[in-house]
Amino acid sequence: MLKKLFILVLLISSVGVFGQGKYIAKNAYISFYSSTPMEDILGESNEVVTILDAEKGEIIFQAIMTTFHFKRALMEEHFNENYMESSKFPKTKFKGTIEGFNKDMLKGPVANIKITGVLNVHGVDKTITVPGTLGLVDGKLVGTSKFKVTPEDFEIVIPSVVREKIGKEMEITVKADYLPFGQ
Amino acid sequence: MKIKYIIFTVLALGFIGAGIGLKMFFKPHADINKLEAEFKVEATKLMDEFQKEENAATTKYSEKVLEISGKLVTKSKLKNGTDLLILEDDMQGVSCQLDSVWCAANQPAIQSLETGKPVIIKGICKGYLMEIKVSPAILVIK
Repeated sequence: MLKKLFILVLLISSVGVFGQGKYIAKNAYISFYSSTPMEDILGESNEVVTILDAEKGEIIFQAIMTTFHFKRALMEEHFNENYMESSKFPKTKFKGTIEGFNKDMLKGPVANIKITGVLNVHGVDKTITVPGTLGLVDGKLVGTSKFKVTPEDFEIVIPSVVREKIGKEMEITVKADYLPFGQ
Repeated sequence: MKIKYIIFTVLALGFIGAGIGLKMFFKPHADINKLEAEFKVEATKLMDEFQKEENAATTKYSEKVLEISGKLVTKSKLKNGTDLLILEDDMQGVSCQLDSVWCAANQPAIQSLETGKPVIIKGICKGYLMEIKVSPAILVIK
């Protein structure tokens, strides 16, 4: 039991969210979508872990790249082997802060927010500011965000033969149903 | 005669190439039910390995088919309908998302699952994020 507690503290400290109140979602959703003339590409993961620090307004997301599933096995293969190099860069991370955070944001109805932080994909850090929503839905804290990134921002090389066929930008959708944790 | 032979060869190669391309394009996802488990391991042992040495455990188990036995602590459904089973520890245990096709054909087996009882899961280990992620997975019914 003591070992478990120690590991939990270690885990939480490793993602930098010391504080009294925290919210967690262990099965948050992230998708990325790109439209191509042949067919749309949609990768989805329901295995994203996110922690929201209710004291500082910090949000952390982590996902394992191979948990993104696609309609076609070949798309999944190309995504992991050719583009994301998932064996070399197995995880993607985001650590950011809600702009103008106050604790009432966690107790009120859904409202628009802005989050600024560092997104690490493919081993490359990029500071981004993204729009989102946060608030109670049926008594549960729900966070969402939708924003666009380009593969080039993260040094993801797409061969010129297929570059024109894949949309310049990828639309990222994030949804997390948070539960209180460690309060 | 020689030209005919060349045209025939080019056409045949073209058809074979297109066939291989189409087969690859429409290649189905791995059927977890048919895959042999590379490791048979207890959930507690797996958790211990990941918690002690995440990198070594990731190298050993990531993307491998595992047969994991342990105590079922949580049985729930995600918003998209996916059945989720968690073994041994709700926060840091083994989190298994069941294969939707397998679930559709095996609803009685899932419904009969009781928390606190031992289960055996077969699935692809994805790695470690506070808990061990396994997907897609199926129940091993013996």
